[in-house]
Amino acid sequence: MPILSLIIFAPLLGALGIAFLPSSRPSLIRFAALGVSLVTFALSLGMLLGIRGQSGEFAFSEQLSWIPSFGITYHLGVDGLSGALVVLTTLLSWICILASFGPIQTRVKEYFISFLILETGMLGVFLSLDLFLFYIFWEIVLVPMYLIIGIWGGADRIYATIKFVLYTLVGSLLMLVAILATAFSHQAATGSWTGAFDLLALRGTITDPTLQILGFAAFALAFAIKVPMFPFHTWLPDAHVQAPTAGSVILAGVLLKLGGYGFIRFAIPLFPDGAHLFAPLMIVLSVIAIIYGALVAIVQTDLKKLIAYSSVSHMGFVTLGIFTFNQQGVDGAILQMLNHGLITSGLFLLVGIGYERTHDREIAKMGGWAVRTPVYAALFGFFLFASVGLPGLSGFAGEFLVLLGAFIVNPMIAGASTFVMILAAVYLLYMYQRVFTGPLSPFLKSLGAKLTDVTPTEILTLAPLAALIVVFGVMPTLLTSSFAKSVETFLMSAISVVGQ
Amino acid sequence: MNNDLLTLAPLITVVVGAIAVLVSDMITPNRNHAPVAVALAALGATAALLINQGGSSASALGGSYVAGPFVAFIGLLGISIVAITLLIAPAYLAARKYPTAELSATLLFALAGAILLGAATDLVTLFVGLELMVIPGYVLAGYAKRDPLSTEGAVKYFLLGSFSSAILLFGIVVLWGVAGTASLSGIATALASGKANAGLAVALALITTGSAFKIAAVPFHYWTPDAYQGSPTPITGYLSVGPKVGAFVLLIKLFVIALAPLAALWIPVMVVLAAATMTLGNLVALTQSNVKRMLAYSSIAHTGYLMVGIVAAGAGEAAGIAGVLFYAAAYAFMNLGAFAFLTALQGRPGATTQLSDLAGLGRKHPRMAILAAIFLLSLTGIPPTAGFFAKTYVILAAVQAGGPATILAVIAVLNAAIAAFYYLRVIVYLFMRDPAEPAVQVAEGPMLRAGLLIAAIGTVALGLAPTPIIEAVIQALAK
Repeated sequence: MPILSLIIFAPLLGALGIAFLPSSRPSLIRFAALGVSLVTFALSLGMLLGIRGQSGEFAFSEQLSWIPSFGITYHLGVDGLSGALVVLTTLLSWICILASFGPIQTRVKEYFISFLILETGMLGVFLSLDLFLFYIFWEIVLVPMYLIIGIWGGADRIYATIKFVLYTLVGSLLMLVAILATAFSHQAATGSWTGAFDLLALRGTITDPTLQILGFAAFALAFAIKVPMFPFHTWLPDAHVQAPTAGSVILAGVLLKLGGYGFIRFAIPLFPDGAHLFAPLMIVLSVIAIIYGALVAIVQTDLKKLIAYSSVSHMGFVTLGIFTFNQQGVDGAILQMLNHGLITSGLFLLVGIGYERTHDREIAKMGGWAVRTPVYAALFGFFLFASVGLPGLSGFAGEFLVLLGAFIVNPMIAGASTFVMILAAVYLLYMYQRVFTGPLSPFLKSLGAKLTDVTPTEILTLAPLAALIVVFGVMPTLLTSSFAKSVETFLMSAISVVGQ
Repeated sequence: MNNDLLTLAPLITVVVGAIAVLVSDMITPNRNHAPVAVALAALGATAALLINQGGSSASALGGSYVAGPFVAFIGLLGISIVAITLLIAPAYLAARKYPTAELSATLLFALAGAILLGAATDLVTLFVGLELMVIPGYVLAGYAKRDPLSTEGAVKYFLLGSFSSAILLFGIVVLWGVAGTASLSGIATALASGKANAGLAVALALITTGSAFKIAAVPFHYWTPDAYQGSPTPITGYLSVGPKVGAFVLLIKLFVIALAPLAALWIPVMVVLAAATMTLGNLVALTQSNVKRMLAYSSIAHTGYLMVGIVAAGAGEAAGIAGVLFYAAAYAFMNLGAFAFLTALQGRPGATTQLSDLAGLGRKHPRMAILAAIFLLSLTGIPPTAGFFAKTYVILAAVQAGGPATILAVIAVLNAAIAAFYYLRVIVYLFMRDPAEPAVQVAEGPMLRAGLLIAAIGTVALGLAPTPIIEAVIQALAK
């Protein structure tokens, strides 16, 4: 059974089905979308269980000829790394759809169709093993996200969404040139287009030093913009602030991971020499992102913007870990991706829940929120401590491993980055103190009875994330063992190929 | 002689069809649908004949007309372009009390020119084909004869068009003299063995200038925006696609075949022209608030992308020509689709095509807006649409060719990002703004709907399953 195709296209089929439902029945549409996303989630869990039983690097491989003139195939496969990210995607997708039930009241049908197409695009990126197919899914992700921010976003949504698309397009179009150059070099070397776009056939065969450097640069730019690494991060705060809650969650939870995943799956294994050449630069940029993101987060006055900048800082750990090229660093980077996906998604959900009641995110107007809504405050505190990196919650393990990996490369880098764990505590706790503790602020008081505590539905969206944060916090090896083989292969493929 | 007639059958059918349209209009005047029906029948017959000839390599007229897969491809593409135009134009023209018979006949004459252009193997036939294709264009540009804008555009188009034809013709004559033969392959052979001389330099300069006018490459593009904006919208759609495809066939024949030995000389010129064309076209398109004029400038940018393929072909990559042909097909469907959409918005005379007119259309007419979004995304080059694969194809050819072509490829993709800004801005108006007051009227009759649908199917199919067209293109070049 082609389970990977089923997982990718189940949301798309669901979106097609929803297109035929009457717009006049929004609740039917909502539950249909939820159903589709839950089915996809269940399928992905089934896939996860099956991965271990499969031999070989990639499980459930599917390969069909698509554009034979250029050796382009429909090639899918899953390993521990992509499997974990796929489940993260399907989990966050149904959570987001559930979390959109209340906030999205206009053009409900179009919203859920966009969201399900987005899910298909993201899953396709994680499961593609053909560069051309990967690129197509990579670009498909742009369109629904563009619509989600642009139609259902805040006041400045059009500026934000165009900025998001243009930033991403510039990077990805250069990546397209690099993909084509890589494919052609394969064709020139072997005399045939067979396998010219196939990741597995290309890995370790690109020995042209110029292509190694330029190819890596083009791929890295595309992924660096997506992660986003400093100095390409400026689209992120705008996009986050303007996006609807679910858009922010999926942006932070999955879209940023596409960049990190791209580095691990494509950029570095294809162009290891280019990667080693650029590694010092990438490490420096990562450290800048880690510190700069945290410093800027401290002075933010908008809750969502604060968390957006904290994302820049946290994602800096991912790229730092990847470019240490050692097991601790890469393990930590992947853990950090998954944990950031769980924790920051939770924080964005919580900010959204607060916004539903106050229609404001200005930190200065808040204060003493905990008095009125203790459960909300407690949940916020929980995710906040996870984000700070409290040992026992999942945020800690990833950052710790990355720092360990960085220490092996250069203690200075590790030292500089460690400071940020203090900075993270500063900006998050300082924010928490201003928003939740002390006497009730006049603004919150003026809302009166509208300032209700979290509803059971909202708890349902947060509970799975919280549970996983605890589980993976206590037993990070559950995760690291699941992608141990992927990391091993990655480290092997990151060895120089030029001049052998 | 008998064989000649058989070989020329598609060409003859088109011309007979055009005359039949005019005759039918004389018998039953002022009927809007009869001429279109006759023209569509002629198109169908021509298509059948072309497909039938697809495998042959029969020649006629003393070898200056060669049938085969290349003509079949160009002819079928031309037939699709004319057919879509004929489907979307009548309602628009009828609402403004312009006839459809003349349009149908003129388009068929232009198609005859395109077929001749595709089949030509010598300079004279090539030039005759070109003129036969572009002169109907001047007529069409001035089709709205009571509209001063249309007349102005037509006059500009005509003057610059004949001017450039003269330059081109002069260059062709000098080339003929230098090479001693009018045969395209003969010229290539003569040039490969002969030495460069002053006459050749003059010929090359004149031919390059004349061709650059024909494809509207920067800085020879000034006639385009006015001609395009002044013409009736469906005719603008045709003008932005049909003559452009024809002009690129001319480029393939002149530069890639006849002047191939001089590639080292014309490639640098073409690289600069291509880079300037796409960049300027896109930058000016950015500043337009009228969608029709924006599409006119963006068509200049698309000329630049097509030239990337010509550069790659000049550098010896067969994939370059294949890329140009694929791009031409993709561009035909997506751009005609975009113009069909604009035509639908201009059901009433006087309706404008300002960006603000499109506000909120996604809510009032979701199906129409979704089709428009597909065309715009394809023009942007977002997968899985025809425009994406077309761009990929020419870029792939350029990367294969290496050297300056690769730099051109990078410039092309950066340009695609600029283009994304203005194409997506239209989508912003369609879906993200509140409806305009008074809301724009959408007029879609069954014919317009069919035209839109054909364009949309072409745009999506060429993106999702490009293989049949790729194979047709490769087959068209294998001779």
